[in-house]
Amino acid sequence: MPHRSVDRRRVLAAAALGRTLDEPGAVPGDGELLQSVTGEILDVSPHLIVIDTPDGREERLVIAPWATAWRGEAVAPADLPPGAQVIIRALRSGRVVDRIWADITRITGVIQSVGSGSGDHTMELYCGPHRGRRTVVIPYRASGRLRVRHPQFEPGYLFDAIGVRENGVAQARLPATSQPPYRWTAVPEPPPGYSGAQSRISGTATWSDAFDHDEQGAAYPMLERSDTDCQEAGVSCAGLPYLALGSVLNVRNVCAGRTSVLPIVACGCMAGRFCDRCLECGTSPRGRIVELSATAFVELGGDLTKGCFNARVGLG
Amino acid sequence: MLTTIAAAQLPVLGALLAAGALAKVRTAMNESEPGALSRLGPAALVVDRWRVPALLGCAAGEMVLLVGLMATGHSLFRWGAATFFAVSTYVLWELRRRRPDVGCGCFGEVSAIPVGLRSLGRTMVLTAMAVGTVWTPPVPGWAVVAGLTWSQLLAVAGGLLVLAALSPEIEEAAARLRHRAPCEQRPLDPATALSRLRSSAAWRSHERLLSSTEPVDSWRELCWRFFVYPGHSHAGDPADVVFAIYLSGRHPAVRVAMVDAAGRPIEIGSLQESIPVSA
Repeated sequence: MPHRSVDRRRVLAAAALGRTLDEPGAVPGDGELLQSVTGEILDVSPHLIVIDTPDGREERLVIAPWATAWRGEAVAPADLPPGAQVIIRALRSGRVVDRIWADITRITGVIQSVGSGSGDHTMELYCGPHRGRRTVVIPYRASGRLRVRHPQFEPGYLFDAIGVRENGVAQARLPATSQPPYRWTAVPEPPPGYSGAQSRISGTATWSDAFDHDEQGAAYPMLERSDTDCQEAGVSCAGLPYLALGSVLNVRNVCAGRTSVLPIVACGCMAGRFCDRCLECGTSPRGRIVELSATAFVELGGDLTKGCFNARVGLG
Repeated sequence: MLTTIAAAQLPVLGALLAAGALAKVRTAMNESEPGALSRLGPAALVVDRWRVPALLGCAAGEMVLLVGLMATGHSLFRWGAATFFAVSTYVLWELRRRRPDVGCGCFGEVSAIPVGLRSLGRTMVLTAMAVGTVWTPPVPGWAVVAGLTWSQLLAVAGGLLVLAALSPEIEEAAARLRHRAPCEQRPLDPATALSRLRSSAAWRSHERLLSSTEPVDSWRELCWRFFVYPGHSHAGDPADVVFAIYLSGRHPAVRVAMVDAAGRPIEIGSLQESIPVSA
């Protein structure tokens, strides 16, 4: 069946069911609003950073004295190289830099093959029907750290790491989670729903760099397969209700106390395979309920290098 | 008296073997939940690639015994059934010792709860029943079923009651029926929703406003499925007609709205809106 614009679905559903239309964006009232700014570094000094945004504008931001940066490891903002792609968490209407992540990438998928030999490993991953395959290099110096939380470097097991892009190659640096002990096809069943669906569901929210630049949206695992042409959707161990592309989620970062209204823009079929918990502030219930774009994750107060936050998600 | 009771257990054994074989075949063939076999005995005792063959082999053995017991009165099948249940008792004991987390798999994935004393007791009772049939007259099982007397019927009922009391699967099946996943979490076929829409009053009252009877978009949100059709308003302006069908209940609610190209709802007026919910 042809799809019309998924944005229009929200309007049509609201008209049919008499709902009010919530505009996507941050919900004010949870302290100072955070803004995310993405782009390529043109110039950087200890107090000022100049970036070229994807829409061609030149942005000049003041670097706060407490600001920190990450590019494979913690670095001083002034040490970031020109040409690096950055995501900036900014305060004061997006004018003051609070935190910078440079060339950061996240590699989430199913291990297909692992290169043999000593030294650096090359790993081939299947990242879902929409994201295809990716190759990731695991440098020797990071392999010990990754193997502690990913003991199974074998085809069929899930892999989730945070790294940097260097010369177009993704290099894993940090494990984003503890590897699930099951193969990707053997996701545990959700707990039985004893008293109907809940209006708010708690679990883990993660991020992905598979979204477009500056896209404010989320990928959700529990979509009908016939609606999304995705035979791997509809799997989750969190007991999620079925929603659709275009549905609007109310995502709350329980750790930072921030809330955003975000549309579902992609199928989170790979996120649904992870039955892990987030330990950002206390222990979350198991299961990834939503995968956010990097900009949405940053504006909700998440730290990209930590990979997740404890979330509470509802519809609209 | 004892011979009557023992002979009456032949249909009971037949029923259990048939149920076990069918449930195992269904579980082995059902690929909706990969990895489920790793939690079922005896599949849990073998390596991954042998799990389906092990379950199917077990089901085949049960079918052979079932056919042998019901079609012939040969003692080979009666001894075979006794041996089968005795070996099953040993396997369950071993499973309980080596993998206390897995279920017996006796009735496929319904038997996913860990092996307990009741499951063990059931295979012991079945072994005793099978041994008992060895000393009964060599008549085929179908002949016993055809010629059941009142006393034998009582013995059959008694045997089934004992087995039911020793079957944790009954409680599991009842719990699954009672705690069925809510509508929002169940996969539901869009074709069913479409046929419910086509038979609704909302559809009949709006059909003349549609430019095409083929939907241009459809999606599901919680327990509602939406269908969008191109159409026109009463004034003749182009508009999208959206139907929302509740996915639960025999006569589900159907809601309808018209939205213009700018996204503004168009007043439908006094048109009949929906059938009352009976869910």
